[in-house]
Amino acid sequence: MKMKKFINAPDALTDELLDGLVAANRGLIHRGEENMIINNALDNVDRVTIVTQGGSGHEPAISGFVGEGMVDISVVGDVFAAPGPQACVDAIKLADKGKGVLYIVLNHAGDMLTGNLTMKQCKKLGLNVVKVVTQEDVSNAPRENAEDRRGLVGCIPTYKIAGAAAAEGKSLEEVAAIAQRFADNMATLAVAVRGATHPSTGAALADLGEDDMEIGMGQHGEGGGGRQPMRSADETAEIMVNALLKDIGIQSGEKVMLIINGSGATTLMEQLIIYRRCEQILNEKGIEIVANYVGELLTVQEQAGFQMFMARMDDELLRLWNAPCRTPYLTK
Amino acid sequence: MTIDRAAVTAMLTSAARLLADDSDHLSQIDSRFGDGDHGITISKISKLILERLPQWGDESIHDFLDALGMAVMEVKGGSAGPLYGTMIGGLGAQLGEEETELDSAAVKRMFSGCLAEMEDITDAKVGDKTMMDALIPAVEAAQAAEGSPKDILDVAAAAAEAGAKASEQFVSKYGRARSYKEQTIGTPDAGAVSTALFFRGLAQGL
Repeated sequence: MKMKKFINAPDALTDELLDGLVAANRGLIHRGEENMIINNALDNVDRVTIVTQGGSGHEPAISGFVGEGMVDISVVGDVFAAPGPQACVDAIKLADKGKGVLYIVLNHAGDMLTGNLTMKQCKKLGLNVVKVVTQEDVSNAPRENAEDRRGLVGCIPTYKIAGAAAAEGKSLEEVAAIAQRFADNMATLAVAVRGATHPSTGAALADLGEDDMEIGMGQHGEGGGGRQPMRSADETAEIMVNALLKDIGIQSGEKVMLIINGSGATTLMEQLIIYRRCEQILNEKGIEIVANYVGELLTVQEQAGFQMFMARMDDELLRLWNAPCRTPYLTK
Repeated sequence: MTIDRAAVTAMLTSAARLLADDSDHLSQIDSRFGDGDHGITISKISKLILERLPQWGDESIHDFLDALGMAVMEVKGGSAGPLYGTMIGGLGAQLGEEETELDSAAVKRMFSGCLAEMEDITDAKVGDKTMMDALIPAVEAAQAAEGSPKDILDVAAAAAEAGAKASEQFVSKYGRARSYKEQTIGTPDAGAVSTALFFRGLAQGL
């Protein structure tokens, strides 16, 4: 089937989208060398700084969260592909304002390779950098095998929490410890009802047929029921909320952050209907939602479906989540 | 017989050409369970190697391979750039900074350096359906081989080819192909196939 997307040349996708992102947000961000998106305020900060990396095609993630209070530099690869390590090393050097750099990497094969190579090179150069990996997809491995879990939308609140901790003037060790504590207490489950097309090649990324949905990738079946017939919003919400609660081990009386992240083609109407049911379920269980977000943070082109994200919150994490930030796609 | 700078140039030229010639085939293999772009990335790597070789200035073999590896790591298009960059840099990693004539023992160090650098960045083992399916047997065969540098390169290339062939029977454990589980049996790993071509190319260039 012919791809119906507003693009020019497939090779220019990343370049053009980054130009557009900067054009629309000149007060906040600018482009650097090698596909970097840089916080305009970076030159004048005296604190720990935050660097991340990832492929394009997931807008507004990841570069839409560069700005004060979140990410200082994002290093962008091609569509769905990690950037190379040299660009990340250069970004870390550029970001380091004498207090060290927190380097946040999502767990995907290519990103992890680049992350390892970058850290190896940083060590050689004696740079002060700590890496934190976000890996919270409950569907593709049990919690004991966190290294096998993919990094999904959880990177975004992790940027927010880490960025706020850095803005408070905390040391690199403290910022890293807080980011890690948040990352260790989060979980995401993704559901898809229709796949996306790769914007460069036009290839279909998944085929879910007319009547099915897929909770998680169903790789080992831990996360949900895997591929199954389409269900109602309430039934889907129940399956997913319960899987997340079980995974993190959240008990009655605890406080959570809940995010419904649209994957690209699921309407806000549907996301809100899902959120409504999640809140009802959590209320019934005596679990309080103290932080939330409903909308698109990390998409997969026009994939229909959403990611449900939950994290255990404490007073410090909540304060950091609510702290001010100014980025193209999240302002507090 | 030893390997000097001219021989290293010939080896890399031959490897780059062989990879470029087979790039369509590599994409075809990769399109079954991967992103279908391995051949495209390999072509870019090949092109970069062929561009860099004539610019080889006063650097030693060690330093040239190190710089070439760093450059290849930046080739865009998924993991192949960082992996090939690491492998190429690794070829020089255990050579002396000023070593100019590589004997059989030095060639064995090229292979062990290659593996050591790769093991630093990936936990993949033989059987995980990755490049390591070709690389690990090649390095092991090289260590056990006797004879001239050319003999060692030939033995390593043959072992890499056997490893790539064996990857057909493995279940994918890394990357996008991983979610296809048992369906991946019967298709070789595109990275293992290209790695075998790379080693065959090195051997043929000598």
